Amino acid sequence: MSTRWYPIYQRGNPQLRVFLPNFWMKLVRPLPQQASNIVHFQCSMEMTKHDIKNYLDKIYNVPIIDIRTKITTGRFRKDAGKGYIVKDDDIKYAMVVLPKTMTFEFPNIFEKKKGDLEDDTKSLEETKKSFRKYINRNKDRPDVPSWFSI
Amino acid sequence: MLASSGQRMIPKLKSFTIRRFTQPAISEQNEYTDVPNYPPILDTSLQGRKQRKRETLYENIKALKTVEEKQIALNMPRYYGWPCIMFKENSVPYNAMPFVQYYTKTYFKSIHKLPDTYNNTSTLTDTVLKDVKSHIEDCIAFENIGIERKIEICSDLRVEQQMEDLKTKEIVKQINRIIMNNITDKVPHILSTQVDYEPRHEAFWFMGGGAVPRKVINWRKQYPWLRKDRLNEAFDKPVQYIGSPMLTLRNNLPLRPIIPYNEAENPEFKVNEFEYVPESVGYVLEHRYGTNIPGFWPGDQDEFGLLSYHGRGHIINRKESFGAEDNLEALHCQAIKSSFGWLLAQANYQGFTTYNDITYPLTTQTVITNGQLLSFYVYQLNTITMNIDAVNTNPKHNICYGTKPMELYETIEDGKVKGLNEDTLKMLIQFYVNAPVERDHELKPYLGDEEQVVADIEEDERRNWLEATYKHIVSNRPKHVLMPEIYLWEKIYKIQHNTRFFEAKKRPFELGINPFKRRLDEHLPPYIPKVLRPYPKCRKKFETMYYPKI
Repeated sequence: MSTRWYPIYQRGNPQLRVFLPNFWMKLVRPLPQQASNIVHFQCSMEMTKHDIKNYLDKIYNVPIIDIRTKITTGRFRKDAGKGYIVKDDDIKYAMVVLPKTMTFEFPNIFEKKKGDLEDDTKSLEETKKSFRKYINRNKDRPDVPSWFSI
Repeated sequence: MLASSGQRMIPKLKSFTIRRFTQPAISEQNEYTDVPNYPPILDTSLQGRKQRKRETLYENIKALKTVEEKQIALNMPRYYGWPCIMFKENSVPYNAMPFVQYYTKTYFKSIHKLPDTYNNTSTLTDTVLKDVKSHIEDCIAFENIGIERKIEICSDLRVEQQMEDLKTKEIVKQINRIIMNNITDKVPHILSTQVDYEPRHEAFWFMGGGAVPRKVINWRKQYPWLRKDRLNEAFDKPVQYIGSPMLTLRNNLPLRPIIPYNEAENPEFKVNEFEYVPESVGYVLEHRYGTNIPGFWPGDQDEFGLLSYHGRGHIINRKESFGAEDNLEALHCQAIKSSFGWLLAQANYQGFTTYNDITYPLTTQTVITNGQLLSFYVYQLNTITMNIDAVNTNPKHNICYGTKPMELYETIEDGKVKGLNEDTLKMLIQFYVNAPVERDHELKPYLGDEEQVVADIEEDERRNWLEATYKHIVSNRPKHVLMPEIYLWEKIYKIQHNTRFFEAKKRPFELGINPFKRRLDEHLPPYIPKVLRPYPKCRKKFETMYYPKI
């Protein structure tokens, strides 16, 4: 299935045993104003509607009513170093319609736990303290590398 | 030469003369009144000013005298037409019911038998049923088995769908003929009823509610005065319905309303807001002029619909995964769309528009069939205004009563129809027997007394011009010159990245012009060649245009 170019095997090299498929789908946060039974995916450019249906149905057992796909143009941006304009890759989106009784809510992946903020501030304070200590120790001897100490 | 230039100077000189004496236009006695007479306090905020501007537009359209001028006026703000949400009769996406109901402001009620207003004709219906039954059995059997059809298949629709629709068309024609022939001498209104085969039904309106599209929000984000509190400000979205029933009946009198008009404000009939964009359901936009055509041109005597037959071949074209329940909803959607569309177009011919609400209810009856299954719908149009000023304040709603698909017969065996369902046939006959009645109120309050359609205009030049322009607009023919376009290279190298700053700025987007905001009358009038100008001397180089002033 794969059309990827794998390195040609030379005697003595380790055998490549991993064959990644061309077909992948990435669940993305839908734009607002979208009905709750519609799920958005970014997917591989080679996938057709039938492929998307089979992928979700056969592997993940998702009941699928309808699939709409669209290919969006990649962003045009100025190359950071050279200054000329380059284009990002196009993206294929799949809008998957679930039965109208079902709803899908995009999970909050980076959810903060209760103690997280306190831990973060504590470690920040500690880092600040050690940095101050380092500055104090070296204030009489500028231009000396940090490793030069007892 | 000198003499002629001297003569030309005289009118100019006249304007230079100074007026030596002046006097007030109103005499001083009228200036004071006993009770202070203040001018109304106007809302001078931006929203207030905008609303007042819109209201003058509504009033100006209301004041236009003829149907055609009102239709041109609806299209006046856009030279290239409106980007319309397309409501096509025979394509219904999955789960479209909430969307269709909100965009037509229609409350749907599922019923098993027709509303009570149909009950007073049951004896007549029974006699007609007895006469008609055997004929209808024969015609169904004959159309199904007795004819070998040679069909020209078009490539963009499924073959099964085309076959079914074609067969249904023939059956519907025959059933209509049999019933009409039988009841012509029993009920008087049938004799004066017109039958149309595959007429053109189009309707256009503005919808002010619903979500604001992502594109608009992104555009508003770049301006600080819009970004602050007007990001989600509603605007009128143009909607266009296009459909073609198999057969329609129309009469010079309207049908009776099913429920009294004041009942339309009942909060029970409220429809939930559809808070997503139309694209999320599967409806798309198309650039075109808004048109209102109920299957005939303005000026026809029989301008009220009685009954329309629609095919249901598109159900075959739907995906299996949609399921039977959604297919049933799709039929309801089709009925709501087509009934609303037809009635709205009829209301437009009475002088109402999407800006000026109807003053009385209109009713129609709709049958969706494939020759064997029939579903019956009765629709009452109570309101047609749902623009931004009316969508939240207008308490009226439209009402649609509809049945599930009912079998007309079970099977056809040995060339004979088995198990004809009399109840189904009776309902169909009830639709025919339901007589239109004369209304005791004015039907065309917003049209002129003498000029109601363009054909009534006496002035030849103006009449011909308006007629030609109206027909040209509603034809929606593509323009000779292509629509303006921003090429992709311009978008990349001129708009997104300013890499060609040294070039002369000539394109509309560089001059800050939106070509799609061009008005319909912003074009040069047709040139009159010198030989065609009146003899001996005429300075008029261009023909007069009679666009409505709004």
